Order: sequence, then structure tokens, then C-alpha cells
Amino acid sequence: MSTPPSDDNSIAAYFGYEELGDSPAERKLQDMKRRKTRRRIWTLVGVSVTGLLFYASLRVIGFNLAELVSQLDQFYEALLEYFPPTTYFGIPFVDLGAYTSFMIEENLILTVQGGQIVWGAMFVTMAVAFAGTVLGLPLALFFGVMSSERVIPYPFNFVFRGTMSLIRAIPGLVWFLILIPLAGVTPFTGALAIMVDTTGYLGRLFTDELEEIEDGPIEGIRSTGANRSQVVSFGMLSQVFRQFIAWIAFDLEHNVRAAIGLGIIGAGGLGLELYIQRQTFNYTEMMACIILIFLLAGSVELVSQRVRSALRDGDDIEKSGIIETFANVPRNILASTMGRRGK
Amino acid sequence: MSTLKVDNVSKQYGDVTALEEVSFEIEDEFAVLLGESGAGKSTLLRCVNGLTEPTDGTIVLDDEEISGSQTNIGMIFQQHNLVDGVSAYLNALTGSLNRVSMLKSMLQWQSREDKVRALESLETVGLLEESHQRVAQMSGGQQQRVGIARALVQDPQLLLADEPVASLDPSSAETVMGYLRKAAKEHDVTALVSLHQVNIAAYFGERFIGLRDGQKLFDVGRSELTPELIDELYGSVETVGLAEQEKTVEQVLNGDRDDPDDAAPKEDLRPGIEA
Repeated sequence: MSTPPSDDNSIAAYFGYEELGDSPAERKLQDMKRRKTRRRIWTLVGVSVTGLLFYASLRVIGFNLAELVSQLDQFYEALLEYFPPTTYFGIPFVDLGAYTSFMIEENLILTVQGGQIVWGAMFVTMAVAFAGTVLGLPLALFFGVMSSERVIPYPFNFVFRGTMSLIRAIPGLVWFLILIPLAGVTPFTGALAIMVDTTGYLGRLFTDELEEIEDGPIEGIRSTGANRSQVVSFGMLSQVFRQFIAWIAFDLEHNVRAAIGLGIIGAGGLGLELYIQRQTFNYTEMMACIILIFLLAGSVELVSQRVRSALRDGDDIEKSGIIETFANVPRNILASTMGRRGK
Repeated sequence: MSTLKVDNVSKQYGDVTALEEVSFEIEDEFAVLLGESGAGKSTLLRCVNGLTEPTDGTIVLDDEEISGSQTNIGMIFQQHNLVDGVSAYLNALTGSLNRVSMLKSMLQWQSREDKVRALESLETVGLLEESHQRVAQMSGGQQQRVGIARALVQDPQLLLADEPVASLDPSSAETVMGYLRKAAKEHDVTALVSLHQVNIAAYFGERFIGLRDGQKLFDVGRSELTPELIDELYGSVETVGLAEQEKTVEQVLNGDRDDPDDAAPKEDLRPGIEA
């Protein structure tokens, strides 16, 4: 199509903006040249705009290659702090003692003082998650059951469904920020945020589970002359009891991850400790926190998975391996904090 | 001791007529409903149970008209309709729900009497030893027997069964029907059972009510049930003809079954009716 411009044809003809020849084939050729010209112009515009935006962005973030190079030494030193080197029996390895001494010194796990247990940051995180889950559980149950069309007829069940959707539309992180006026930047507010989050999510999981129950047992209970609430609890809830327990385990696992994320913005526990150490540039201590976070989130997930698969009679619970579980911890923590369920 | 009077009952689902002016009366009998799929057997049973309302006509049990779910009518379903995840005992105990408050039933604070009754009912159907097992772990025949036990716990005046053995193998079907018959006899209740299998029906039934296209085709006793009637009911289908009976239902009930758990009653199961 792009024949080199020859002397007898003008530039306009080359770009397709001059009628040449009479046959339909020749007219079509000119038409296609015009199309190609327009495509080229748009491509040029796109590349220029992207380039301009990229340049502006670099200016805004203060991109400076020279600084990167000059800071490499410092980054290397930081790496040595992240993973302090030492030797075990002559073999170079990361100094695990540096981590553990910080964990003990800062009481990240727990200590016993004068016969009394002082719960550390890890247990604060656990407590935020656990208290939030238990507080949210009755609400989730209430909303979950009331959202079911079998219990509350359409369209009234949508009042409850809508409330849960609204709750889910706002991530747990934002719920924490919203609830700060209630109880301050404290683990208490963290637990409240998780309570609200659990109401929306666990309730929805309950509703979904209730959608799948069979009519048979409901009719069976109805035929015995049981009253309405008995039909709901014996005909419906008893069908999904084990599944509900499994979902509670899943939600608790999610909430532990969310509690870590909430900690970073002030809800205490391991997240807060990580944030404090970052502000003071204590890289070894930061890494110690990160390691504990991995251990906590990973082991809670492993336990929860095993509990769920036992409850579900080997049903549809995927059991991931230990390494896979720990490798997925950071992504899952983020997903849980932002209100998106992992998996 | 009870009388079920079905009087001119019709039921329509939109344009579809499921039942059309069906009338009959049964008293202390083991009655069998026969008919093709879609003939209206299930609809009739659901109307009698109060799970659905007839469009027209009345159903009276012992001088009391039926409306709404009835506690004095026990129902046994084809798909047993038990709660799979809990034990046979708890399933049987749900038969007593109408006698306790919501809170008490949640806490399983039924009276000792009801709890013993649940276990006795399971004993009646030969499942006392298995009563702690989850229903999901039981065989189809055992599940159906739990269904019978649940109906018995209601202390019903009338037992209904909607194709109780349709999804069972022939041996389990006979066992379950045997227990159903025994339960009806022991508790002295009228029973109305819909069945597909003509041979089983002829074995266990005392009264036979045939439905075709929502209408009553016949209402006969054991001696009047002829192959011609069956032919008329199902059309000319070769394989449903009445088989020659070698034993009476009494002989079967009295221990010719292969299930070793069955301590079948040794008394005559049909006193006074044709004896």
C-alpha cells in the first residue's frame, strides 16, 4: 500500500487525500490510505500524551537516577540490618537471635511478670480479630437469616441484604477511620471495625449458604406442625450448621489478617509495632515484626483450613501447602484489609 | 381410632386441575393410593396434611376440618425430608416440636417423656442402636425408617406416606413397608400411603384407592383388587400386572424378612377386617 512517493504524485495523493484513478480498486486503495493516515495520527497523539504524562509524573515524584546510585551503599547497609548476618558453626546465616531478642524486649509475643501474663502485640492483634468476630457473629447471623427469601419474603428481605451490601461496599480500613470518633485510635475501635465488617461479610456468606438448602427437610419439619421459628431453626439452620461453623473459621482467619492491616493505621498489635519501627528506621526490628506477622497469619490460615475441610466432609475446601500458605500471606493481608476476600 | 373423610376435594394449580371432586372415607385402615405419576396422589396427600389448601371441598379428620399444618397427622416423604447433618434421634425428636416452645426446643429441653418416645419410636422401626448416628451416614432404607419414627413421635391419628419406598431397592422397600405397617398397627392409626409398586401395594394394603387424571377411579378392598382394575388404572402396561402372591402380608411381617434386626410382631396385623 505504501508505495514510495513518485514524482508524478503529490504528497496529498500519498496520504490518500487526492482522487487517483477511476477503477473501484484504485478508489479503494486511496480510501485505505486515508484510513492509515488517520491511524498514524492517533498513534502519534497517544505516544506524545503518554510521554508528557510520564515526564510530569517523574517531576512530581522527584525521580533522580543519580540519587539512586549514590544511595545504593545505604540500601546495602539497610539490607544488612533487615537480615543481620552472623555465622552458625562457621556457616554464614541470618542472625535469628537479633530478631528474637527484639521480640522479647518489646514483648511482641508475651511475657510473664511476677506470675502475671503480659500479653504482647501478637495477642493484641489476635484479640482484636477474635473480639471483633464474636461481636459481629450475632449480627451476621441475624442479617444473614433475615436476608434469606425463605424467611422474609421478597422484597422485604432486601432491606437486610441492602444493609449488608452497604457495609461491604466500605472496606474495613475505612470503617476503622469512620469509627475513630467512637473509641479513639485504639484496638477497641479496631475490634468494632471488624465487628461491622463481619456483619456484612459473614452475613452474606450465611445468606448464600441458606440459598442452597433443600426444601425437603423444611417441609418435613413443617409437616410435624412446628411453629414458624422452629421451622427456620430446625428445618433450615440445622441443615447448614456445619457450614456456618466452617464460614466462621474462614471469617476469623480473614479478620486476623484484617487486624494486622488495621494495626498499621493505629489499631495496635503487630501492625502498629511494624509502623513504629518503620518510622524510626529500625530495619532489624521491622523485619522481626514482619516475620511474626507471617507466622501468625500463616498459622491461623493453616488451622482454619484444616478445621474447615474437616467440617465440610472433604467438600470443596482447597488445602494449600504450608509454603504456599506462607507465601500468600502478604497478598491475603492486603486483600483482607482492603475489604476484598482472598479467594 | 380415627376416621378420615375426604369430601369432593378439588385442587387447581393455575389452569391445571390436579384433583377433581375426589371423595372417600377410611377408618382405621391401611389404605393405599394408586395411580400414575401426575395422577394427583401427592397433591391429595399434601391437601390432607395441610401443606396445601384444596381449591374446593373439605377434608375432615375425626370431625375436625383440616386447615394448615397439622400436628396430629404424621407425614412420610419419598425423599425422607430429614435433616441430614444431625442424628437419627434428633430427627425423630423434631416430631415433638409442636409440644414445646421455641426456646426449649432450641436447648433440647423437651420433656423426658418426649425423649423416651423418640427412642421408642426408633425402636419400633428397629433403629434404637443406631439412633446416635447422623442421618447422612445411614442407608436409604434406614433414613426412611427414621422418617417413620419422626411421624410416630408426633403421636398422630393419621399417618400419610408419599411414595415412601419409591427410591429404595426391593428388599429395603419391603422392610420399610413392613415397619410402616407395623407402626400403624402398634399405634392404632389410620394410614394413607401412595405407592407406585402394585405388588407391594397388594401385599400391604387393606384398601385401595385408584386415581387417574385427578379423579377417583376405584375404591376397593383387598379381595376386589383385580388385574383388570390395575390395567384400567395404568393403561395396558405389560410389566405392572399383579404377581401371584405366594405369601400373605401377615406371613411376611411375621419374620420371613432377611433383616436380622427385625423383631417383627408376632400377632395378627389385620384383626377383624377380613378375618
